[in-house]
Amino acid sequence: MKQRPPVLQGLLVALFVAYMILPIIATYTFSIATKWDITLMPEGYTLEWYQTAFDHPYFSITLTNSFIVSIAAVLVGLLFIVPTTYWVHTRVPAAKPLLDLLMILPFGIPAVVLALALIRVYAFPPFARSPFLLISACVIFSMPFMYRPISNSLMAIDVHTLTESALSLGANTLQILIRVIAPNILPGILSGSLLVFATVFAEFTLANLITGASFKTFPILLVEFTRRDGRIAAALSVISFTVAWFASIAILWVSGRGRKPTEEALGAR
Amino acid sequence: MAYLELKNVSKLFGPVAAVKDFHFAVAKGAFVSLLGPSGCGKTTTLRMIAGFEMPDAGAITLDGTDITSVPPNRRGTGMVFQAYALFPNMNVRDNVAFGLEVTGHPKQEIEGRVREMLALVRLDDTAKRFPHQLSGGQQQRIALARALAIRPRVLLLDEPLSALDAVVRVALRGEIRRIQLELGITTVYVTHDQEEALSISDRVVVMNQGLIEQAGTPEEIYRQPKTRFVAAFIGTANQLNGVVVDRTQVRFGETMLRAPVPSGLKESSKVVVLVRPESIAIHAAAPTDAHNVLEGTIQTITFLGPITRLGVDIGGTRVVADMAASSRAAFTHTQHVWLSFPPDACQVMAEK
Repeated sequence: MKQRPPVLQGLLVALFVAYMILPIIATYTFSIATKWDITLMPEGYTLEWYQTAFDHPYFSITLTNSFIVSIAAVLVGLLFIVPTTYWVHTRVPAAKPLLDLLMILPFGIPAVVLALALIRVYAFPPFARSPFLLISACVIFSMPFMYRPISNSLMAIDVHTLTESALSLGANTLQILIRVIAPNILPGILSGSLLVFATVFAEFTLANLITGASFKTFPILLVEFTRRDGRIAAALSVISFTVAWFASIAILWVSGRGRKPTEEALGAR
Repeated sequence: MAYLELKNVSKLFGPVAAVKDFHFAVAKGAFVSLLGPSGCGKTTTLRMIAGFEMPDAGAITLDGTDITSVPPNRRGTGMVFQAYALFPNMNVRDNVAFGLEVTGHPKQEIEGRVREMLALVRLDDTAKRFPHQLSGGQQQRIALARALAIRPRVLLLDEPLSALDAVVRVALRGEIRRIQLELGITTVYVTHDQEEALSISDRVVVMNQGLIEQAGTPEEIYRQPKTRFVAAFIGTANQLNGVVVDRTQVRFGETMLRAPVPSGLKESSKVVVLVRPESIAIHAAAPTDAHNVLEGTIQTITFLGPITRLGVDIGGTRVVADMAASSRAAFTHTQHVWLSFPPDACQVMAEK
C-alpha cells in the first residue's frame, strides 16, 4: 500500500476530527453560554438554559414519550426481524434477495410520505394519530438498521448445522431461536437495537405529523425551543446526545458481560 | 431382525435423483457404514433417517413404527455432524445437557447424565470449557457425548472425522467403535473413506449415483466385490480385460489365465479379471511351478512403509503388485520381471 506523507496524514485526521467534533463542542459550549454572538468565545457561562429546560412542564413528558417510542420500536423490530430473517435464512434462502430488497425500501420512502400515507390509511381508532401508529411507523422507518446487522450475523454463523444439531437433540423452533440462534447473533442484535434506538429517539418528522401535540416527543420539544431560544435548544441537544451515549455504553456493557464467561474459562485453562 | 429399515426410499433434487429405490435394513446394535464418493447419495440417505430430508417415495421404519413423517426433533436420533456443530455460546456441560434440558428432564438426572457422558468420551475435566477452547478431536468427542446424552434410538454420524488430521482420525474412529460397542447402540455412519468404513463397521453399504452397489461385511466387500465400481473403489485392484475360454480359463492377450469363471458368463464373452496387488508375487527369473505368469517391465517403485508397490507394464497394461518391505529382493526401474498369482486370487466379472 502507498504510504502517505506523515504531514498530509496528520492533516487529514485533523480535518476529520474537526468535522466530527467541532459541531458537538460548539453545541455544548453554546448550551452553557450567557451570550455568544460577536466574540470568539462566549462572554460568560451559566446553567440557566438547563434550568429552563428542566423546568419546562413538557420536558419530562416528552423525554418519557421518546423513551417509550424508542424502546417499543426496538422491541417490536426485534420481534419481527429476528424470526423472519432466521426463517428466510434457513427455510427459504432463495427469498433472501427479495428480503434484502424489501428492507431497503424504507430508505426510498421519505418520512413525510410514509407519515401522510399511514395517517390516511389508518384514519380509524384506535390507530388514528395514536402512539401505536407512531411506533409502527418508526418500526418500518428503522427496519433497515435492525435487519442489516442481524442478517450479517446470521451469515457469519453456520445457521443450518446449529439448527439441525438442536433439532436432532429434540428442541423446537422457539427453543432453537432463543437458546441457540439469538445468543450467537447477539452482536448483530445489539448493534441493530442501538441503531434503531438512536434513530427513533431523534426522529422528528413522523412524530410531528402522526401524533404532533397529542403525544409530544423530545425532538418536537427541541424544535419548539429552536424557535424560542437557540441556547435552550442546545441544552436539549446535549441531553439528547447524552441519552444516546448512555444507551451505547449500556449496550456495550451488556455485550461485554455476555463475553465474560469465556474469559473466565480461558483463565482457568 | 430389522430395527431400522429403509423401504424403497427415493429422493429427488429437482430432476436429479440423489437416492434411488434405497432398500436396506439395519439390525439392532449394528454398526453400518454408508460408503461412496461425494454425490453418491450417502449423506442424503442419512439426512432422511434423521428427518432433515423428506423422501419422495418409500418409507422409513424404526423399531416397527413408521417414522417417515415424524419431525426430526421427535425421532430420537442422535446426530454428529462433520464439524462446527457444537453451540459456540455454551460450555461443554451446557452443550451435553442441551437435549435433556429442552425435553424437560429433571435437573438431577441431567447432571448425572452429563457426568456419565463426559466420562464415556474421556473428557471429564472439560465441562467448563467452551468449544473454541477445545481441539477438533475433542470437539467431535463432545459432539458425540451430546448426541448420546439423549439416549437416542439410532446414532447417526455424518463424516465426523473428515475435518480432522490423520492421526486424530485413526484414534477417534477406534474410540467411536469402542463407545458404540459399549452402549450397543444402532449406528449409521457416513464416510467417503473406504479404510475407515472397513475398519469400524459390521456392515458396509457401498453407494454410487444414488444406488446401492453392494452391501455386506467388510470382508465380503473387500474380497468379493460384486461390481467393477466396488472393486475399484475399495482398496486397489488390478483389472485385466480378457475373454472367457472355458469354466476355468480366461485369455488375457496372449496368456491363458486360470481363474474360476462364474456360471453366468458364457464362453467368448468379454470379462474383467480382478486381482489384488497383495496376491501377486514378483520374480526376478521366470518361475517354473507357478500359475498365471505374466512377463513385464518395472515402471514405478513406490515405498509405502510396510510394503513396496511395484508398477509393472505388461504389454501395455499396467499391473501393480505389492512386496513386503522386509523382502530382501531388490528390483530396479526398467528391470524385466515375472508376476504370478494363484487362480483363487482371481475374480472374474462381466465387462459391461
